Amino acid sequence: MDNRQVAEYLIQTMKEKGADMGECRVSSSVKTEIYYESGKISMVRSVLGASVGVKVIKDKKKGAVHINSTEKEALDKAVNDAFAAAAHAKPDDAEGIADVVVTERFEKGPKEPDRDALYTAMRTFIDDVKREYPKISFDSISVEHDYGETVYLNTNGVCLTDCSGVNGYGAMFMAVDGGKSSSFNHFGSLFTEFSKPLIDLGMARIILGETERQIETRNLQGKFEGDLLIAPNCLQSFLHYLQSNFLADMVHIDGTSLWKDALGTQVAVPEFTLSCRPRDSRMAVNQFFTGDGYIAEDMNVIENGVLKNFTLSRYGAAKTGKARSANTGGFFVVEPGTKTVDELVSSISKGLLINRFSGGQPGANGDFTGVAKNSFLIKNGQVSDAVSEVMVSGNLAGMLKNITGISVETVNDGNSILPWLKVSGIVISGK
Amino acid sequence: MTSNAVSETGGFSARVCKNGAYGFASSAAYTPESVAQAVAAAAENANFLDQREKLGKAPFAKVPSFREELRYKREDDVTQKHIIDYMTELDALVAKLCPKLKSRFVAARCLTMEKLLYTSDGVYAHTSTPRSIIYFGLTAEGNDGAPVEIFEPVGTFGVFDEVFSTPSEHEKKIAEVYEMVLQKAQGVYAEPGRKQVILHADLAGILAHEAVGHTVEADFVLSGSVGGPNLGKQVASELVTMVDFAHTAFGKRCPVPVYVDDEGTPGTDAVLIENGILKEFMHNKESAAHFGQTPRGNARAYAYNDEPLIRMRNTCILPGKDKLEDMIASIDDGYYFIKTGNGQADATGEFMFGVNFGYEIKKGKLGRPLKDTTIAGVAFDVLKTVDMVSDDLSWSCSGMCGKKQMIPVGMGGPALRVFVNVGGR
Repeated sequence: MDNRQVAEYLIQTMKEKGADMGECRVSSSVKTEIYYESGKISMVRSVLGASVGVKVIKDKKKGAVHINSTEKEALDKAVNDAFAAAAHAKPDDAEGIADVVVTERFEKGPKEPDRDALYTAMRTFIDDVKREYPKISFDSISVEHDYGETVYLNTNGVCLTDCSGVNGYGAMFMAVDGGKSSSFNHFGSLFTEFSKPLIDLGMARIILGETERQIETRNLQGKFEGDLLIAPNCLQSFLHYLQSNFLADMVHIDGTSLWKDALGTQVAVPEFTLSCRPRDSRMAVNQFFTGDGYIAEDMNVIENGVLKNFTLSRYGAAKTGKARSANTGGFFVVEPGTKTVDELVSSISKGLLINRFSGGQPGANGDFTGVAKNSFLIKNGQVSDAVSEVMVSGNLAGMLKNITGISVETVNDGNSILPWLKVSGIVISGK
Repeated sequence: MTSNAVSETGGFSARVCKNGAYGFASSAAYTPESVAQAVAAAAENANFLDQREKLGKAPFAKVPSFREELRYKREDDVTQKHIIDYMTELDALVAKLCPKLKSRFVAARCLTMEKLLYTSDGVYAHTSTPRSIIYFGLTAEGNDGAPVEIFEPVGTFGVFDEVFSTPSEHEKKIAEVYEMVLQKAQGVYAEPGRKQVILHADLAGILAHEAVGHTVEADFVLSGSVGGPNLGKQVASELVTMVDFAHTAFGKRCPVPVYVDDEGTPGTDAVLIENGILKEFMHNKESAAHFGQTPRGNARAYAYNDEPLIRMRNTCILPGKDKLEDMIASIDDGYYFIKTGNGQADATGEFMFGVNFGYEIKKGKLGRPLKDTTIAGVAFDVLKTVDMVSDDLSWSCSGMCGKKQMIPVGMGGPALRVFVNVGGR
């Protein structure tokens, strides 16, 4: 059976067994990976994957099962197990399935892996870095192609299919010189075509060059309140924190989101616009439909500083009485500003260029504290020494109201498009 | 109840090594045809790489064949109903015992990993590793109106009904966490800077794993981590001995016992630091051959479609002779850090841990409770400042380490008196 046939079989079985509602998500995938570690290209890996998710609702009670087999016996067992789980669940008025009946098929990216191109891209990247950034020592590099076919079907008649392929790479490395080493650094990027050498994608050259300058670091003494210039790869981490702390299902269901009543209010400076754009054609990967069976649409989360949308699923919306969001987050785009990165640096009298934030998930109140990794001191408008053992503290919500600059340059890593962001009022502390 | 889900995945993988080039292939289908295809694909992948990279490495020395039979067996499984009923009762108990909370959650997560391994050396191993964890999340309103929370995992090796009997067994723990979150609601920010502190045993465990353990995994050593140049050198105070236990520690089964790793190496303990001296790294077969050390069973894969990587198992700083109360009494102006949420470390040994609960220590007495903060330092520098080690031991059994793949790990340790950098305002 192909994925569509498996999905139809599952829906039919759920109906025959008396489900009030049911949905399934059936996927097959092929991953082809070239992997580098311990100083050599060490492995070629092929992974055939399968995934079957079944959700049954009976008497407002939900049971969900996930397996990775499409054998008929396994499918029957999955449906039975989902019914058994539902039988023991608690009734929940918020349970349901997608109700916008639509049949649509989406396709994007290369379907077939080009193993020779993957290998050549890896070998060229290693040689390019060795020649141009000789102090870089790789821990690991992965160059891979992923292709997946996913079918979503539910008992309301929704039928969505996504056939997407993408190439990507990720590297983890440090710089080493004379027995001294920098901190680990990493980057990655997703792309559809091998149109450029990997070293020319995303922030690769910037990060490799910066890492070589991070072998020698300095500590800071004491603490001060200063500016952070947040690089795009680091900004992405903060935006994920923002989503899970203030926008996503769970923090609205349990009522801990600081923004639970803030729709339509000013939560950031007017220059700041953040959107979640799973359908943005500039990105190498898209999400055409949500996990709960709705066609995903791009949306502004914060528009000119005003909170416009959360990232609530159908369930999160039903549970909280709020509107379902056009998508469930990620795929962040922050609109560029008007100043260059150099101009933003020039405007900082004392602060940090932060490339990586090593810290835990901020508390429910948005407070964060963490180590500024792979970062540089900015002093009198100049990027100065790399720093170590320097910590930054602030508040996620407060930070958005203290944005004092957004770069005109942006970086597209294949699933986000982000600028450099300057924020003030951050506590920066050393030893 | 917002989540009620079961996930069961399985499959098959093959790994082939040719002249040092690895080919790997896996399939979710477990049929004779798909097995044959995966083996052929793995061999073809190894050939592909061998032809291009020409690594020319000799095969590993053949090891004696052996059989590792299943040590843990369970014919039946716990029903979803059993877990739901238990958790429903537990949630009601939390609601009853914790009336001033702003919100709460309880969650159960049970994971069993069962593996069959065959190697060309003739090793056969059948292992099963179940783990059951319950998570409490308690949120109260802080003195500034913003929510504060504490998250507490409990559990260990075993299937749910072997680890947990009745919800009332958690009453003491619930009361303890509730008291903490109420105190934290009135908490103050830590003062940033370098401070002498007591790290609770739970933080010592994560220190062992994140800050030291990763830097002495041989793959990180090969890429230039701080562990490499320090082999055989004093990297910690003489009070510090740190072991990556394979399966048994202090006469008891470890949280994540590894009797045979996923390359077929029997699990033995790796003594990483002995009386402050860095003694050995953690290895797979290839890195052990490179360094001329003994592989001890650290090559672990998570899912059927994952290749074995060098991973920790149950990493632990051994207990000392000091009493915790004496350690607290010895601090004039510092902190007692009790709960951690997460941690990250670096090739340089620079680490950070989130601290979710703790107290000031003023003139040897516990003072005001703390809001969330972060501590950081450089592992070998911090370990050299250890001058008191408590005589007790605490295992954290809920750890999942992320390094290309996730994998369950155990972390353990006593309380330590050290100097660290404290983040704050």
